[in-house]
Amino acid sequence: MSLSRIAVAIVTSASLAVPACTAPAEAPGNTPAANTPAAESEVPSEPGRQLSALAPENITKARPAAPFDLTGNWFIDVTENPNAWRFGPPYPKLTAAAQVHFDASQVAAKEGKVYRDDIGQCWPAGLPLIMTRYWPMAMIQIPTAIYMVSGFMNSLRIVYLDGRSHTDPDIIVRTFNGESIGRWEGDTLVVDTLGFRSDHHWMDQGGASIPAGEQLHIVERIRLINDRKQLEIEYTMTDPEYWEGEWKSTKRFNRVNDEDIQEVSCLPDLNEHLQSTSSKTQVR
Amino acid sequence: MTKALLGGVLVVMLATLVPVFAHHSPAAFDRTKEVTLVGTVKEFRWQNPHTWIEVNVPDGKGKTVLWGVELTSPTYLVRAGWKSNTIKPGDKVTVIVNPVRTGEPAGIFRKLILADGRELTERPARLGTPDSK
Repeated sequence: MSLSRIAVAIVTSASLAVPACTAPAEAPGNTPAANTPAAESEVPSEPGRQLSALAPENITKARPAAPFDLTGNWFIDVTENPNAWRFGPPYPKLTAAAQVHFDASQVAAKEGKVYRDDIGQCWPAGLPLIMTRYWPMAMIQIPTAIYMVSGFMNSLRIVYLDGRSHTDPDIIVRTFNGESIGRWEGDTLVVDTLGFRSDHHWMDQGGASIPAGEQLHIVERIRLINDRKQLEIEYTMTDPEYWEGEWKSTKRFNRVNDEDIQEVSCLPDLNEHLQSTSSKTQVR
Repeated sequence: MTKALLGGVLVVMLATLVPVFAHHSPAAFDRTKEVTLVGTVKEFRWQNPHTWIEVNVPDGKGKTVLWGVELTSPTYLVRAGWKSNTIKPGDKVTVIVNPVRTGEPAGIFRKLILADGRELTERPARLGTPDSK
């Protein structure tokens, strides 16, 4: 498809009704279609480039209806176990490279100290821990993607559902939440995530410090259960740099329908006033 | 349970453990110990992800020690009856905390007792229970 045809298609589809994802109505006489040459020049896409998950042409593309809609605020179910936010124990057999950190964190814990608590120093929690913080995760699902914004530091995670492949490893920008690609398998959404940043990124904290490496690969099998009132995610995680085989864990989340997430930032003045994050208990 | 009193600071050793939810590891706090601070509010900051109180506490030796008290987020505190103006600088308060293990004048919040005797905690404030609306 030529650039001009892409531009026309996007401009045309922008006028279609798209439930829950349409842009605010343009003022009369100020629609993109009223200024076609300018609109065409505004389309940055190059031939062969992936259409944005928010491009109307992508959103309105014919595709099977999603088996479920995750739109909502979800909170880790800790009603039975207040430590359910953790992904272990049990932990997999660690490599020597991970064991040194795990052991050091155990020693620190026995001394009442905190080993490399990077989250406490405002580094992003990253996947998987970002999913189970003690703040709700807002999820907004459209046909092409699920946008997740954590109530914890507003961390952004995008799960693409539009059939795209993972980004070329040579150009991917490594991040703490990685790049997530989802596909539907019956009533299950299978999400494949890689492209993680490894520095200051941990699989656990507080006496069980296990690093997350650049080879970290996470597969999530996501379902709605209990009459769609609960979200269940089965995690299968591998990272040959830091553990052997598959690390599995299943988490359940409950809806929070009477609270919205808020703007949250980890700012310098936060930790200046929380002496615990800078006290002598910190082991770097 | 054992008790020790130093100026405006009462230390109580507890036998129970209380979960602490914060953006950082809770290991810095000694949750077997409670410290009661009787002092004057210097600052009450109502913000995400944590609210904090700074309290000037007399040490019983003619000096004042500034204690930093860490609370959870306003989202939870509102559910427990707090408002942004629940306390303000200059208010006389009693604050009970689990202290940091190092002996530094800091802790994580357990209970506030206002001058009129009203008590506030961080709970009940659980989000996302199966009964959540």
